[in-house]
Amino acid sequence: MRVTATRAARRRGVALTALTAAGALALTACSGDSGALPSDDDGGGDGNVEIRFAWWGSDDRHKTTQQIIDLFEEKNPGITVVPDYTDWDGYWDKLATATAGGDTPDVITQEERYLSDYASRGVIGEMTGVDTSEIPADILSTGEVDGKLVGIPTGVNAYAMVADPQIFADAGVEMPDDTTWTWDEYVDIAGKISKGAGDGVWGAQDYGFNEAGLNVLARQKGETLYNADGTLGVSKETVAEFFQTSLDLMANGGQPDASRSVEYQNAGPEGSLLGTNAGAMGVWWSNQLGALSDASGHELELLRLPGESEFERTGMYFKPAMYYSISAKTEHPEESAKLVDFLLNDPEVAKLQLTDRGLPANLTVREAILPELAAADQKVADFMAALEPDIVDNPAVPPNGANEIQDIMIRINTEVLFERMTPDEAADAFLKDVGAAIGG
Amino acid sequence: MAVIQEVARTRGAARERRKGDGKAAALFLAPWFVGLVLVTAFPLVASLYLSFTDYSLLEAPGWIGLENYTAMFSDPRFFQALKVTFTYVLVSVPLQLAAALALAMVLDKGLRGLAFYRSVYYLPSLLGGSVAIAILWRQVFGADGLVNQVLGFFGIEGVGWVSHPDYALGTLMILNVWTFGAPMIIFLAGLRQIPAMYYEAASIDGAGRWRRFRSITVPLLTPIIFFNLVLQLIGAFQSFTQAFIVSGGTGGPVDSTLFYTLYLYEKGFSSYQMGYASAMAWFLLLVVAGMTAVNFLASKFWVFYDD
Repeated sequence: MRVTATRAARRRGVALTALTAAGALALTACSGDSGALPSDDDGGGDGNVEIRFAWWGSDDRHKTTQQIIDLFEEKNPGITVVPDYTDWDGYWDKLATATAGGDTPDVITQEERYLSDYASRGVIGEMTGVDTSEIPADILSTGEVDGKLVGIPTGVNAYAMVADPQIFADAGVEMPDDTTWTWDEYVDIAGKISKGAGDGVWGAQDYGFNEAGLNVLARQKGETLYNADGTLGVSKETVAEFFQTSLDLMANGGQPDASRSVEYQNAGPEGSLLGTNAGAMGVWWSNQLGALSDASGHELELLRLPGESEFERTGMYFKPAMYYSISAKTEHPEESAKLVDFLLNDPEVAKLQLTDRGLPANLTVREAILPELAAADQKVADFMAALEPDIVDNPAVPPNGANEIQDIMIRINTEVLFERMTPDEAADAFLKDVGAAIGG
Repeated sequence: MAVIQEVARTRGAARERRKGDGKAAALFLAPWFVGLVLVTAFPLVASLYLSFTDYSLLEAPGWIGLENYTAMFSDPRFFQALKVTFTYVLVSVPLQLAAALALAMVLDKGLRGLAFYRSVYYLPSLLGGSVAIAILWRQVFGADGLVNQVLGFFGIEGVGWVSHPDYALGTLMILNVWTFGAPMIIFLAGLRQIPAMYYEAASIDGAGRWRRFRSITVPLLTPIIFFNLVLQLIGAFQSFTQAFIVSGGTGGPVDSTLFYTLYLYEKGFSSYQMGYASAMAWFLLLVVAGMTAVNFLASKFWVFYDD
């Protein structure tokens, strides 16, 4: 009697332990994923397919994208799209972790600095079954890695000089002709604005934290940041010249001191010189004109970067804002392609997202949304249309490891601004560090 | 004879009961144990394995032996990260403990509204590691921030405290010192444990305030000081959030706030060198374990246990 009681108790104990363990397991398993992954996948025969679509962005983008997904599901019964979104900073951590865990989303939003890393490691595959006939060939080719189309550009941006005509006027300085102005004139103009506009207002925000400006300068000189074969294509002299411009601007008062430049760099569009009405010029991607204009309350203009007619050729180019790619291991390649096709080519989609994923790469779609654009976006569209004939070519996809250039650029430019490195030393360090990043 | 049997029986019963207790204990420990295995032990072992591979996160890992460890010792940024972290730990932890002890002694005087003050001073400990406070500090210590406006009032021209490479780390140290609340609470509890009669006796013998502090408070408080020291050292080695936010994730300006953990994160998630990052994690573990061991060994010479 007593024996059986103990045994029963023991059995109960074991069962309870197992139950607790199972509970703990379930708990940890739940917290492990985003909670967006249902287990009742397609199920085979009934034709109900589930695909996951990953993107980064702001709340606005999440809302419009959800509307777009609803529209897609309505038009394509039998396909369910699971949204998987986060902000820019968390996006790449999350995507890399999901990939490591064998849980890659089916449709992945990509960016040029990561495209090669993901393509060469076989995470994203060749795009098939998507109609790309409406996208200009020179833009479509920016999604090719090793001759294979692995990402389709959603839209394009240009790296441009944003200017505040009101501050120019306050300082008594005329707006430059952006097709002919040189880098020296840029330094000169910025210095004059700082003098003319009074205390706490500067000519320009430092441009050296972003490698895109260096790429434009390199291209003007017939070089390029990266060659098509993935090696560095910029000379030491050009890099040194690029950093020297910042020093010249500090020397003539055209831009703030080093500490303030670092702070403005960290402050985003809203806290930038232009955004806080504390400066007349700054280089930005064209799609940020809206955010900058909203923050400043002024009507801002887009200008081409200086030096477009100074050297061998023009350096400005169209950069794909982002790409749509499809996981190489997706179980539903057809449905995924269908979604990408819809995102790129459906006019209703374009009317919902307007220029949020860049000025649409699909020309027919772009035409269709022009009348619906807000004033700032209208300006971007006009600027891009005027720029198009003067663009020689667009850069190739940056090589593996190119995402590290962001940190390298910030580090070396800060050394230059604080005068802890001469432009010459900075150029050496830049070539060495970037070379190591893309060689590895 | 009967007594012996009685004793044996009681022992048997006790053993029986202990066995039952063991089962209950196992039951209650199970959730913790499962958590430990899944969330701590398994990743720990996995990262040890990964530290010997070229794991990129995107592809399957390949064995490369000790290559990550040898690469570490020819990486100048690795040494910069070590330098920054050690400077931070060795300067800010003693300062933080000194501040905590000083405040605890003041509060121990039995002020009115003690609970209120205790909570107020404890608050920074809760907030100090948070993203919001790091952002606030970025503003307050900016070139045009609150601190410089106050300094400007006295005719002093300040610098960009978090954006200048010579000052950024110092500013983060102050932020760490400011979060003295947790060790302060522990010191406060320790001070309460010291019997008042020691002080009374010392006063009668003519000991002054400093003498009483040095000869009674400090020796009797050494176990608490030791405990706080170990905890804060380990915590400081793992600092991440403040530097990450203040420098925009880069460890800048020019690597002046490149904390070890920040560099580790950068290697793993933006350079896709998770193998290297794992090796760095294991090296950090060894360093922290070594520091703690030295701490424990040294404690024999200065920590005084009253019992």
